[in-house]
Amino acid sequence: MSREYLDALALSVQVALLATLLNAGLGIPLAYLLARRVFRGKTLIDLLVTLPLVLPPTVTGYYLIVLLGRRGWLGAPLYEVTGWTVAFTWYAAVIAATVMALPLLVRTARAAIESVDRDLEKAAYTLGRPEWRTALEVTLPLAGRGILAGLVLAFARALGEFGATLMLAGNIPGRTQTVPLAIYTAVQTGEAAEALFLVATLTALSCVVLVAAGRLGARAA
Amino acid sequence: MARLEVAIVMGLPGFALDVAWSGDEGVVALFGPSGAGKSLTLNCLAGLTRPDRGRIVVDGRVFFDAATDVEVPPQQRRVGYVFQSYALFPHLTVAENVGFGLRDRPRRLRQERTGVVLERLGLNGLGARRPGELSGGQRQRVALGRALAIDPALLLLDEPLSALDAPMRAGLRDELRRVLRDWGIPAVIVTHDFAEAYRLGDRIVVYEAGRVIQSALCSELLWQPASEAVARIMGIRNILQGTVIKATPDRIQLRWRGLTLEAVNSPTRAYLPPPETPIAFFVRPEYVRLIRKDRGAPDPGHHMNLMSGRIVDETDFGTTWALRLRLDEPGPPAQGEYDLEVEVPRMVYEILEIARDRRWQLSIHRGSIQVLPG
Repeated sequence: MSREYLDALALSVQVALLATLLNAGLGIPLAYLLARRVFRGKTLIDLLVTLPLVLPPTVTGYYLIVLLGRRGWLGAPLYEVTGWTVAFTWYAAVIAATVMALPLLVRTARAAIESVDRDLEKAAYTLGRPEWRTALEVTLPLAGRGILAGLVLAFARALGEFGATLMLAGNIPGRTQTVPLAIYTAVQTGEAAEALFLVATLTALSCVVLVAAGRLGARAA
Repeated sequence: MARLEVAIVMGLPGFALDVAWSGDEGVVALFGPSGAGKSLTLNCLAGLTRPDRGRIVVDGRVFFDAATDVEVPPQQRRVGYVFQSYALFPHLTVAENVGFGLRDRPRRLRQERTGVVLERLGLNGLGARRPGELSGGQRQRVALGRALAIDPALLLLDEPLSALDAPMRAGLRDELRRVLRDWGIPAVIVTHDFAEAYRLGDRIVVYEAGRVIQSALCSELLWQPASEAVARIMGIRNILQGTVIKATPDRIQLRWRGLTLEAVNSPTRAYLPPPETPIAFFVRPEYVRLIRKDRGAPDPGHHMNLMSGRIVDETDFGTTWALRLRLDEPGPPAQGEYDLEVEVPRMVYEILEIARDRRWQLSIHRGSIQVLPG
């Protein structure tokens, strides 16, 4: 087994974990706002978050390049000031995975939050609790199971991300090559044994995650 | 100045709320059919919904005043809210639920207060349970305890008994009444059940379609519904239509089904319609007297408003019988198949052998005919 496939495995787990963490930080507040608030631009934000779910991943990747590439809307000023660009680094893989996984978490968590009885929140308000503390003490704990399910989906999606990652981060062995990209390369170059090893590992990892989530979910209920 | 002053104007799609009432009494019952705006009023009192216009004052504290742009958030109103579904936090224990409004106080004070509340509501030993493990009555007490623990300036109860089975309701209604009296906190209670409003409230505010159609002390409302609409919402039976013959400040003579009836005019606000005015009135079924046949002929001086008829329908309610009588007067009966509903205690039904004897003379005291101003 060559060194670069083990690197791919380590990188995949690292990217997926970080993307899940970013999803939690971004997606849970976003899901709460979409579920509970009425504000200008809500429909637009909902649309933007959901779009990667239906667009081909390469199209999402293309938009990410337009936004973050060396000559991108955000990427160009960043490059000018720091001389650094996110494209073709492992951070790019994290960003691509985060964007691709976000709709799964936001949609699942939003539905879970919407199913929490609003009278419980109103009760907390009359008992002196401001909205943010009510969200932390009442709404999110009660939506916890759904949010957890959303995080598991997001992790699984991030682990398997291919198209957008390829566009923004490239396929550089040892630097941005995650397991799905390594499988693709292995198949292309006829390394059947390596491909099989990676496929089996990814399948096993996904099974472990799903079983663990099932256990956690059952305990949370 | 009244302890509670409420004026709310609010427009919603397909519904408009425009109410104003005040109350000095301990418990105000908002009574009326579902969808009349009672719960919305409660939400405005708690600060969970913002009225378009109006003013809400509780014990001298202005909670809301559209004119001066005052709106106290729900967190700062110190209003205890008992929700229809109780809205207990399912992930917290009973003690944590009751102590929820006290989390910013020092731990020792919080535990002390929670203990006192659990004790007073008879929830000792249940502190570690979850709401899901409690009976309906226990849940109600936890919801009350959670609201009372913050020592509220006002307690709001939204249909507090509707989540319970019918057999438990009467018992819990009396228990709720005892708790409200015992804690002495001013309360507003929403209900669509008149018996509940009457048992729990000191003042009853009658809602219909987003408006207040009467606000009165309990006793006053029972005997003097302000209008036919109020009487109907209260579920009063024998609401009848007659014509005025003559009205004086203390008596009203009216014609109904070819009979001349005499009624007492309202002592507080005499109603003086001109002759021939159509007039609604009601006769409580339990106040119609059947005249015993074994005591000689009825004495017109003692038995006023005499009439005769036969029983066309009857229902056994256990402790009472409801009889429907059709009068001997010509013309169609006043209420479909019958003219009057009469309620008699079971013992009277048996002693007078009503099951066998279907023809009766009736008498109604003039004080038992209530005139309803149009």
